Amino acid sequence: MRIVVSLKPVPDLKHWNRLELDPKTKTLVRKGIPGAINPLDRHALEAALRLREKHGGEVVILSMAPEDSRPVLKEALAMGADRAVLLSDPAFAGSDTLGTAYALSVALERLEGVDLVLCGDQTVDGGTAQVSAQLAEFLGIPNLMHVSGIEATDGAAWLVRCQMEHGYITVEIKPPMVLSVTRDVGQPRYVTLMNILEADAKEIQVWSAKDLPMRESWIGLAGSPTQMGDLFVPEKKGSAEMLAGTPAEQAAQLADRLHRLGFC
Amino acid sequence: MFTVTDVIQSKIWVFVEQRQGRLAEVGLEMLGKAMALAETAKWKVAAVLVGDQLASLAQNLLSFGTDEVVVIEDPLLADYCNQAYVKALEAPIRAHKPEVLLLGATALGTDLAPRLAARLRTGLSAHCIDLDLTSDGEIFAVVPGWGGHIMAKVSCPRTRPQMATVMPGVFAVPEPGARSGKIVIVKPDISPQDITYRVLETRREEIPKSGLQAAEVVVAGGWGIGSKPDWHYVEDLASALNGAVGATRPPVDEGWADEKQMIGQSGITVRPRLYIGVGISGHMHHLVGLKSTELTVAINSDPKAAIFHYCDLGLVGDFKEILPVLVKAIKAYSGSEMK
Amino acid sequence: MDFKFSDREELLRKTVREYAEKEIPPYMETMEETGEFPTELLKSMGQMGILGVITSPEYGGTGMGHLARIIVLEELGRVCPAIPMALQVHHMCTYALGTWGNEDQKKKYLPPLAKGETMGAVAVTEPSGGSDVAGMQSAATLDGDKYILNGRKCFITNAHTADTWVVIARTSEGGKGLSAFIVEKGFPGAKVGRKENKVGLRGANTGELAFNNCEVPKKNLLGNEGDGMTIAIRDIVECGRPGMASVALGILCAVMEQAVKFANERTLYGKSITKLQAIQWYLAEILSDLEISRLLTYRVGWMLDQKMSPHAESALSKQFACEAAARSARKAIEIHGSYGIMKEYPVQRLLRDALVTIPAGGTAEIAKLVLARQAMTTYG
Repeated sequence: MRIVVSLKPVPDLKHWNRLELDPKTKTLVRKGIPGAINPLDRHALEAALRLREKHGGEVVILSMAPEDSRPVLKEALAMGADRAVLLSDPAFAGSDTLGTAYALSVALERLEGVDLVLCGDQTVDGGTAQVSAQLAEFLGIPNLMHVSGIEATDGAAWLVRCQMEHGYITVEIKPPMVLSVTRDVGQPRYVTLMNILEADAKEIQVWSAKDLPMRESWIGLAGSPTQMGDLFVPEKKGSAEMLAGTPAEQAAQLADRLHRLGFC
Repeated sequence: MFTVTDVIQSKIWVFVEQRQGRLAEVGLEMLGKAMALAETAKWKVAAVLVGDQLASLAQNLLSFGTDEVVVIEDPLLADYCNQAYVKALEAPIRAHKPEVLLLGATALGTDLAPRLAARLRTGLSAHCIDLDLTSDGEIFAVVPGWGGHIMAKVSCPRTRPQMATVMPGVFAVPEPGARSGKIVIVKPDISPQDITYRVLETRREEIPKSGLQAAEVVVAGGWGIGSKPDWHYVEDLASALNGAVGATRPPVDEGWADEKQMIGQSGITVRPRLYIGVGISGHMHHLVGLKSTELTVAINSDPKAAIFHYCDLGLVGDFKEILPVLVKAIKAYSGSEMK
Repeated sequence: MDFKFSDREELLRKTVREYAEKEIPPYMETMEETGEFPTELLKSMGQMGILGVITSPEYGGTGMGHLARIIVLEELGRVCPAIPMALQVHHMCTYALGTWGNEDQKKKYLPPLAKGETMGAVAVTEPSGGSDVAGMQSAATLDGDKYILNGRKCFITNAHTADTWVVIARTSEGGKGLSAFIVEKGFPGAKVGRKENKVGLRGANTGELAFNNCEVPKKNLLGNEGDGMTIAIRDIVECGRPGMASVALGILCAVMEQAVKFANERTLYGKSITKLQAIQWYLAEILSDLEISRLLTYRVGWMLDQKMSPHAESALSKQFACEAAARSARKAIEIHGSYGIMKEYPVQRLLRDALVTIPAGGTAEIAKLVLARQAMTTYG
């Protein structure tokens, strides 16, 4: 079984209080903040490792990221993946989810014989939750999102559990496929000291755009139909929005708000 | 080959999710917003339904004021399958070239939209909390990033349709009434091979009552509750919201609540999405126990209570009067299915 | 001179931090109340590779070295200093066995110690004095194929949880008269005695070991007769002191974080107390103590990995870091005002933990003797 975990290095959540919005360029200054594996991608990697434990095979990390993301990939290797491919090229800069998904799909096709692509539902920075489905579309294979359980069977259809609002569905689906996972798919294991030592011997291959049959107009800024405008910080609430009226009116207003946000 | 009974004139299409004949409310919310936006650009709005046996739903949608309801119907589409729905939507979209396509950011919507956008090679903005339309017909979506701490304006200047998934609860449902609009039936080109997975089982689950630290909803009581017999007001509200009960130090000292329920610098740190503080004045060491909630609500009889500086919504009043009405309203909402 | 940690060391720090933050807190309240070490954690710590960090992979360890060990202990100490206190003594046992043990001894005792199936302790200190190693009274006499061991050891960390003890006892008169033995808890005549009730580092349990005609097989002699003093001193210098310093590093890190956290949240006179110069000075002083202690301690780890002898550097780092921890914890309490002396807040525990590190594993006075000697030799 060959499983590819598509993983994104993101700024480490623990250091987010150091993130600053540059008032001039209206972009986020990420400098100096160490990278980490996107939390949900760790869960995806855990799911991959468990499948390998049960069915044998290989777990490969694939990441489209700048070259300085190597330590993050090393950590993924230390968690137990067999090898890693880093897709890195200045040509990818400015990619939105479509450009990213396309580039990843080309790299995946080069990897060959992939039964399953796993990733987290969304990243903590962009948070669009779009890449997994778009990747599947480019590869022309089925995909499911919000996956909380995977039962693989050799040769036949797999059983996958997907979380929906207020419950879940169990789906029968055949590989190859793309699955994006929620936290419920499993607690990521700790990297042990033994793993760190083993990871030293594991390979990180770097592929650039030229190494692959990439269509130039489909990557980077050119391949990205969405454009980000200015970033801004939502207004900080200095004081609360007060709900006025009789107690019954206040209660009704609050209940309505809660309902609209999905709490009831 | 897909066929259509009539020409679709609308330029803003709103995918209205339906499951087993029930409409997702976010679909109606988006319709309301779309109709407001359409006035600026002088465009028509179409609600798009995909599935089977959609006649009465389509009629229902017309009553909300949409110009057209595009019905893409086939028995094979009765159950949602992303690739099948993408195929069913692709042909009419390519043929009729809407400017804008909106979907709700639901479990289904967030699964369908990206795949469809990739198929159409167009741009998609995710989880929008606001939309704006210029007179040139360009949509600007406001999307949250970085856990909601930063917002960005996203546009899709070069490709069409401009797609966006919209957060539920952001826009208002329009008032239904007697309206005139037309239904356009689209017969999609779908075969069994297009169904690439099969749903074997659908299970509805109550959100499990987990511990305080894992709770999505926390209702906490403070000194203002006043007595042990009155503590049930807090518990009732927590129960109605399927949430966990928390407390500040005084209720714990008084024996109204358990030590394990104490939130604060010396107690537990919680990360609920919703936090409601009842009878809590808002001293620092309790607040320190709260980390990144989506919505903080405070109910206190003292308008000068410090907590009103640290919450999103404040209600000044007697909790004994507010909470029973609140609990009743919440139960009424929870009891109903998707409309 | 390269002051950067390698990628491998950064990853090590990250993973131990994650482990510590998640796995240790559930035990902390009970540890504080009962003073008991949570032996349930030994299994997962063994799986992490923490227990065998300076044991060769040949014997089931991870052999990552002394600097790696310092990082491990520091990160554990940042969450709960009592844990690395217990572990560092466990390491002292594995270090003694790994350095002076023969093949059979290493093969027998090291793998279970690395896995967390057994726990280790080192017994040097006696009621007659810990600083006066040569003055110890415990004695072992050879009787056929076994040694008969008599005596009492006190203030022994892990006394009640350890299965494998390295015990120093006198086998003959004079300076070269001490020997080291591997004693198993179950040997006839070996007894675990009183449990101490410490004011800090509660959860690293400390107690008494008693030997009443305890039978130790001859093959359990560690090294040769007469090696005891060397083994004890080197174990302390190369393992014990950096271990204690690492516990202090953990305390310093926690103290710094608590101080900044509280200062950021507390307002007085309508503004954050971080705007008050007195508070800023405290924070600056704590940071200085933290950074200096780190540099001193990391250097010892580096020297050991380079196979250099860190005699004075080891004494300096232990003495400085532990005093710095106590001094900084005190300042952190000042920053907290009255909250600082409330048991609900962690800073008071950190001060108590720091106080215990000062005499444990070598008093400041002994350290200063070493340093004085070093000063006179180097600069004389």
